[in-house]
Amino acid sequence: MPEPQPARLALHDLQLAQGHRTVLQHVDGQFADGAITALVGANGAGKSTLIQGITGTLKPVAGRIACTIPKSRRAWLPQQLALDLSFPMSVEELIMIGTWPSHGALKGYCAAHYRRGREIMARLGISHLAHRPLGELSGGQRQRALIGRTLMQEAELLLLDEPFANVDAETVEVLIEVLRDMADAGATLLVVLHDMEQLTRLADEVVVLAGGHAHWTTAAAFREMSAAELIELTSPLKLPGVAAC
Amino acid sequence: MLDTLLWWLTSPFDYAFMRRALAACVALSLTAPIIGVLLTLRGMSLMGEALSHAILPGVAVSFLLAGFSLPLMMLGGLVAGLATVGIASSISLISGLKEDAAMASLFLVAMATGVMVITLAGSPLDLGHVLFGSILTVNRNTLLLVAATASLILIALAMTFRALVVECLDPVFLTLQGRHAGWTHGLFMTLVVLSLVVGFQTLGTLMAAGLMLLPAAAARFWSQRLESMIAMAIGGALAASLAGLLVSYHAGLPSGPTIILLTGVGYVISLVAGPHHGLITRWRMPATDTAHGH
Repeated sequence: MPEPQPARLALHDLQLAQGHRTVLQHVDGQFADGAITALVGANGAGKSTLIQGITGTLKPVAGRIACTIPKSRRAWLPQQLALDLSFPMSVEELIMIGTWPSHGALKGYCAAHYRRGREIMARLGISHLAHRPLGELSGGQRQRALIGRTLMQEAELLLLDEPFANVDAETVEVLIEVLRDMADAGATLLVVLHDMEQLTRLADEVVVLAGGHAHWTTAAAFREMSAAELIELTSPLKLPGVAAC
Repeated sequence: MLDTLLWWLTSPFDYAFMRRALAACVALSLTAPIIGVLLTLRGMSLMGEALSHAILPGVAVSFLLAGFSLPLMMLGGLVAGLATVGIASSISLISGLKEDAAMASLFLVAMATGVMVITLAGSPLDLGHVLFGSILTVNRNTLLLVAATASLILIALAMTFRALVVECLDPVFLTLQGRHAGWTHGLFMTLVVLSLVVGFQTLGTLMAAGLMLLPAAAARFWSQRLESMIAMAIGGALAASLAGLLVSYHAGLPSGPTIILLTGVGYVISLVAGPHHGLITRWRMPATDTAHGH
């Protein structure tokens, strides 16, 4: 038996802060390859902060993020409100952006790229929207277009910040299926989630953020937790070691 | 009739100074509107306007130190413009306030400093020349400098176009690729300043932003595709430049303001008749608006 490979995304004694406020500290752990990890926690617990840290938009105060996934294969699905919806770009153009990291931003697209783009749109059920401007899409259609970009990018690390917010039920089904396929193909997925039912259907592992710390567990164990255990986990006062800081 | 029209269109360009003016306008019209489209998409139109005034003290100080040397005045303008960008983003970084508020304060200070320097020095440099440009006095060397800088801007835009577009839409996408979005932003602001510096000789610091922003703002009413918006903005700028030169020649009007006024006319026409968000389109579809309202 070969030695098990270390995960391609790991956090080492990570400390992240927003301004002068420490949001997360002493975070140690790794995100399994080929698995979907749900990030859960109360508002302000540090879910988006952790995502920002991993994307590189927020520099760690201490510790480090070790990621061996090639940069061209790192993707993210922004929260819908983070995008300028009046931007003059069509669905197809947005999806084609996914080729830039690996293909280079200078070269034109070739026929194979367009073919792949069409396959992706067909899979996501948005072929008829190919030339529609982003501003004219519904929340669900926009989310499908954005996930199309990550498919085009052949993402091996995908960070999703509340992907199902403001999205219709049918799109949620399509997205869950696509995300599961990506994980089965070996990608590492981190999803900020609020909905327990979606978590049950999607996540393999769960990272609970509370009191400035991260607690790793499996989705199965998380589901089994009683309300009392959950309260204990998410209550900052009862976490060992936190009282000191 | 046709002969008269032909004469009206071509006779001004019998003069070398008119041909040079036209060439300078073409160089400006091929670059500035692209920058303008990207600026309007970022919601930074007024930043472009503010920056165009911020280059004044650099031009003035260069003139005092080295006399009337256009390359040095352009360099001075570039340094002043970039310094304003740098200071504005530092202020916004330190204070946590938005960059445009810092920029608004800075450009007023810069503008006043520039006027003060020019006046106090009692210099022969005509303030009007710097503020309003003098498109008809473009000489061969100026034209070469304008054309070379415009070409440089065009090449830089072509090489970084996709990064600039993505930085507008989704900066984190760039950060994930290990390319710091701040660099892209810095490069873009440099191109904005460079493009304004190219424009100051011909249109003056007060109006250099006009050819950049007005055709771009007008193009948004005609298209929802980036490429066609850029093509339309360039087309609009070219048309306004040519028409502006012709009208100003025949009617004896100042050429810079005529060109900018014509881009303004183009903007008003677009605002009224443009198929996207234009007033006529809106009046024709009151039902959808009220549907959203309830």
